[in-house]
Amino acid sequence: MARIELTEIQKSWGPIIGVRDVNIEIADEEFVVFLGPSGCGKTTTMRMIAGLEDPSEGRIVMDGEVMNDIDARDRDVAMVFQGYALYPNMTIYENIRFPLRMRGVPRDQHEGKVRRAAELVELTDYLDRKPGALSGGQRQRAALARAIVRQPQVFLMDEPLSNLDAKLRQAMRVQIKHIQRELKITTVYVTHDQIEAMTLADRIVIMDKGAIQQIGTPDQIYNDPANTFVAGFIGSPPMNLVEGALEGGTFRAPGIEVGNLPTRHSGAVTLGVRPEDCTVAGMSSHLSGTVYGVEPTGDITYLTLKAGEKLVEVKADRDYRAPLNKPETVAFDPSRIHLFDTATGQRLS
Amino acid sequence: MASQRKRSKGESLTLRYLILGGWALFCLAPVLWFLSIGLRPRIEIITPQPIYIPSFSLDAWHMIWDDWPMAAYLRNSVAAIIGSVIIDLVLAIPAAYSLARFRYRGRDDIGFYILSTRMMAPAIVAVPIFFLFRNLGLLDTIWALMLIYAAINLSFVTWIIRSYMLDIPKELEDAAKTDGAGEIRILWEIIIPAVLPGIITASVIAMIFAINEFLFTLLIASTPDAYTMSVALSNFTGGSDGVIYNAIALVAFLAFVPVFLVVVAIQKHLSRGLTMGAVKG
Ligand SMILES: Nc1ncnc2c1ncn2[C@@H]1O[C@H](COP(=O)(O)OP(=O)(O)OP(=O)(O)O)[C@@H](O)[C@H]1O
Ligand SMILES: [Mg+2]
Repeated sequence: MARIELTEIQKSWGPIIGVRDVNIEIADEEFVVFLGPSGCGKTTTMRMIAGLEDPSEGRIVMDGEVMNDIDARDRDVAMVFQGYALYPNMTIYENIRFPLRMRGVPRDQHEGKVRRAAELVELTDYLDRKPGALSGGQRQRAALARAIVRQPQVFLMDEPLSNLDAKLRQAMRVQIKHIQRELKITTVYVTHDQIEAMTLADRIVIMDKGAIQQIGTPDQIYNDPANTFVAGFIGSPPMNLVEGALEGGTFRAPGIEVGNLPTRHSGAVTLGVRPEDCTVAGMSSHLSGTVYGVEPTGDITYLTLKAGEKLVEVKADRDYRAPLNKPETVAFDPSRIHLFDTATGQRLS
Repeated sequence: MASQRKRSKGESLTLRYLILGGWALFCLAPVLWFLSIGLRPRIEIITPQPIYIPSFSLDAWHMIWDDWPMAAYLRNSVAAIIGSVIIDLVLAIPAAYSLARFRYRGRDDIGFYILSTRMMAPAIVAVPIFFLFRNLGLLDTIWALMLIYAAINLSFVTWIIRSYMLDIPKELEDAAKTDGAGEIRILWEIIIPAVLPGIITASVIAMIFAINEFLFTLLIASTPDAYTMSVALSNFTGGSDGVIYNAIALVAFLAFVPVFLVVVAIQKHLSRGLTMGAVKG
């Protein structure tokens, strides 16, 4: 129920720069996921939206109103903190109820709202306990319940599922998305986990070293990574990135030769291709190398080839098996080859 | 092999208990000796040869309650001590919160200044304080004692509570803010409950210091209106009756019992509070 605009946001502590040049517009009811390695500034950006941290530079606007000087408590924002931040002296019930009390929700509605929030996160049996008597995952769910118990303008969730086991994480992911869609609340969500990002997000914001690397839908991020950082960060296993030279529409690196590329560019170029866009033993092969490793996982087999000094990962048939050092050739899907400027890391269009 | 190790462990445990038990007895001996002095007739105390197995007598007990206004002394002690602790908490909790949370110029200097009040020898300020309270017309009242005890203890009460507050993760307050709580609410509903062990510890230590306070009490109190237990002890040393050892011992023991019980009750918090106050800062 709110539009958020961050303009030229910068945050520094003395010489330490936490976040720089952040520009993003988040639409009403949108689900935006911040994804990036540890220390890239995700939490800091989120805390600025919440009003817990003042940006050193730039403007934060919500629904047309400049928020820079508005206190956290006067921004209608609910946040799930990375470290849970449950009130240790209160029971889980009181924890979840706290925002209702503070925001002046009529007393007779408290019980019902708290129970409903607790049900959503499957915590009804623990309402009488103190946070100290819960497991990490249970605490995390309690923190989630405390955020969803009222209907704020904006949800901010800082790695809310990081401590749950795979099964519960999957279930909670569906829950969160459902709640967000149902309540139509603008949501900013931080995670390390790509799967979480891909499944939840309307748009993903990839950050690294305090700066935004790319903003786009999950498909855009996956199919058209803006630079080598995004290309190497998204996907598991990640995209193969091979440095080489582009000359007259042909890319060459030890053991690799790809023709029919655009002739607009030339020079030091990095070629990117995802393991799933490679086919083993194609007739018109692009890569010839030797088998370095074979990893069957059940539904798919990962094959690692050595081409020159470079290791390239390929998704092979589930039945694929080969002895070490066997010569092997691979073809790339020509429509899914990415080229990046080696010097800047930026995508060559 | 296994059984041997077990036995040697059992032996070392017995040894440990023996040593600790011996040490406990050594520490407790004076207290018990004191109690035995308080409960024997006066004649048996002033013999040149020690009497190890005394006869039992409640002489001193009757004397302190019947001949002396001990109940009034006790009341003064309790009122002055509790009053001083309340004053301390009202002042120290906001001060500690400010020192722990907000950054401002000179914050650390204030912290040091507060602690430095403990480093001064009390006798230095005795005379100015006497005149101060005389001018205020508070000499020989328990109000003056309350203020003095509060002033003596304020610094470390603040310091202990502050060190507990430093342990509260900042996220907790941030969560309360985004949940819509204001500063006062946060202090009252989040911070104070979270540092309650620290508040209890600081209060108990303040009480112990206040019970034992002697110099300023003697300075301020000149009649039974403001005499406390600690000063009452000195009453048994002068006068025509000479030094009344058994009464002194009994009063001292009576003053010791409540402190002892409270310390045992909060033992767990106490050691934490003391070490935290020591290493944090
Ligand atoms: N109060 C602070 N003072 C100085 N530097 C800080 C402060 N808070 C954060 N930083 C720095 O800012 C950078 C971004 O931190 P931030 O917490 O936003 O990372 P993050 O992306 O949330 O990482 P993680 O995934 O590990 O939670 C880090 O390098 C961090 O060291
Ligand atoms: Mg973080």
